[in-house]
Amino acid sequence: MGETMIQVKDLRVNFRAWAGTVQAVRGVNFELKKGETLAIVGESGSGKSVTTKAILGILPSNARITSGEILYNGKDLTKLKEKEFYDIRGKHISLVFQDPLSALNPIQKVGKQICEALKKNEHMSNGEAKKRAIALMEDVGIPEPETKFSQYPFQFSGGMRQRIVIAIALACNPEILICDEPTTALDVTIQSRILDKIKELKAEHDLSVIFITHDLGVVAGIADRVCVMYAGKIVEYGTVDDIFYEPAHPYTWALLSSMPDLDTKEKLFSIPGAPPNMMYPPKGDAFAPRNRYAMEIDFEQEPPFFKVSDTHYAATWLLHPKAPKVELPEVLKHRIQRMKEEREGA
Amino acid sequence: MAKYILKRIAGIFIVLFVVMTAAFFMMRLMPGGILDGVEENLSADMRDLIYAKYNMDKPIWEQYLLFLKGIVTEWDWGVSLKLYVNVSVWDILAERIPITLYLGFLSLLISVPIGIAFGTLAALKKNGIVDHAVSFLVVLFISIPSFVMATGLQYFVAYKWGWFPLIYDDSLPRITTTFLPVLALSFSPIATITRYLRAELSESLNSDYMLLARTKGLTRVQATMRHALRNSLVPVVNVIVPAFISIMGGSLVVESIFGIPGLGGITVRSINVADYSVTLASLIYYTLISLAAILLVDISYGLIDPRIRMGGSKDA
Ligand SMILES: Nc1ncnc2c1ncn2[C@@H]1O[C@H](COP(=O)(O)OP(=O)(O)OP(=O)(O)O)[C@@H](O)[C@H]1O
Ligand SMILES: [Mg+2]
Repeated sequence: MGETMIQVKDLRVNFRAWAGTVQAVRGVNFELKKGETLAIVGESGSGKSVTTKAILGILPSNARITSGEILYNGKDLTKLKEKEFYDIRGKHISLVFQDPLSALNPIQKVGKQICEALKKNEHMSNGEAKKRAIALMEDVGIPEPETKFSQYPFQFSGGMRQRIVIAIALACNPEILICDEPTTALDVTIQSRILDKIKELKAEHDLSVIFITHDLGVVAGIADRVCVMYAGKIVEYGTVDDIFYEPAHPYTWALLSSMPDLDTKEKLFSIPGAPPNMMYPPKGDAFAPRNRYAMEIDFEQEPPFFKVSDTHYAATWLLHPKAPKVELPEVLKHRIQRMKEEREGA
Repeated sequence: MAKYILKRIAGIFIVLFVVMTAAFFMMRLMPGGILDGVEENLSADMRDLIYAKYNMDKPIWEQYLLFLKGIVTEWDWGVSLKLYVNVSVWDILAERIPITLYLGFLSLLISVPIGIAFGTLAALKKNGIVDHAVSFLVVLFISIPSFVMATGLQYFVAYKWGWFPLIYDDSLPRITTTFLPVLALSFSPIATITRYLRAELSESLNSDYMLLARTKGLTRVQATMRHALRNSLVPVVNVIVPAFISIMGGSLVVESIFGIPGLGGITVRSINVADYSVTLASLIYYTLISLAAILLVDISYGLIDPRIRMGGSKDA
């Protein structure tokens, strides 16, 4: 670990929509190191998918990158022409989509859809591509890959389709794999199998992974570092341990408290209110209206990042030296305590 | 599949039979008859003789049974009663159907590629100036009926500018002499196909599988051709049948305008003069060809779309 694969600096993305301009991403910074799995966590609409689409240059036509840089391999991806992306997509950076049910072309055989990537990027012949595709299908855990090779997506279950999408993403040995909520559409058992598969493949192929999810429960098992995103901004980032055991931002607290917990059967905490309308992002801390610990300044001025430790930063005024000391919510304290015990027990 | 096709063909025969029966009775129950306009000049005896010759002295249901018997036993569709007195209806149709089919298929052959080209262009340049221009023309062409187009073309292109013959002329090459009628018939199907493909393609262009195709590293052109366009052409097959049927309907009048000796012209005339047997036979022909076209498309749809061929659900 150490070498930086992707560095996103102050990325801002706007959408021109019918009713006005939506500020979907408002100054995001993060970097992906070689060999690590970086999770980006946040509620629906916080701008996670838009960020990944910006990296791959596949934003819809009404989107505009208004500022920032995405540095990859000495190049700024935000300045790249469509043509220059043809050699990056699939070959160096791959994306696994949010919705496996609609990501595959419904009237093309899945084998052909895998081979297409191989033929384009690796210039393989039909025969070579087929052999490799079948090996890939086996790799991602598809039984009877030879038969499945010439079947259509509708003959696959959701979990199997997601594996095909993963196989396509891995086909050309990319260095970077971006998984955009790869398991949200699947049920829990299949979800954990797919996650295991991703972990396994990551180790095998020496991948650096950006893993997007709104489910902190998934993050614990897969990520090295976590960025918590809210309303188009990252509000806290740190190692998995930082985020789970010493969360500093009230939004992270809320997310952690709303995580389903099978052991205790506590009543689930749900975050009050709704995320702000990104057409009119609020002044100050965007989370303030939903934040029980909000102070006056939260409504006036945006908090900068405060350092919690060398690896851990959070953008909340609560970390300001002059702020009143706020205790973690009781429920959360218990949870963290339990998680720590579990880990030591394991 | 074979069973399915047989079932559908049986269905076609049932529909034909119902149409034939209904038309037979309706035509004869309508006021007027084959002797309209000449009745005063005939003696009562003459009139009875004529009626007797064509079985019209008998009750309608008996006439109908005799008509059926003729078809079943001798493939005898009767004779023309007014337009070409005593000429076999079958012969009249056999002589006229080819040119009508020629008009219809030629028009379809022109409309499909042009419609696809315009639809693709409009979808790729959606909301741009090209798209707006295409959409404007689409509305125009869909709303102007083909006989108005035909009259306009005949007046300007043929009469004023003299580029094409005014009416059908046997001595000229067929393509020249049928150019204007085919053109007149093609505007509406071109517009229909354009509009449909534009909608389908702009949806496919924004689909997730299109994004996936691009994330594989395909160029924009490759992804569009192999995925978006290919997928949106499948449902276009759906509009080809209605387009063909509407071309056939349009040719009823357009043939008359250009004096083309096809089925359309004679169908209209036979209705005007109450030539029952000719009307009935052409009606059956039109029904048959429409049903056959629908069947053909249903079968080909199954061949193109694996979800239908293999019985998968459509939304998968
Ligand atoms: N094509 C678009 N036009 C206008 N606004 C858009 C478009 N795509 C996304 N947005 C807006 O951008 C914001 C962020 O969307 P994004 O898809 O990144 O959310 P997300 O964090 O991925 O959420 P989810 O967990 O639901 O996938 C949302 O407010 C959304 O309304
Ligand atoms: Mg998303």
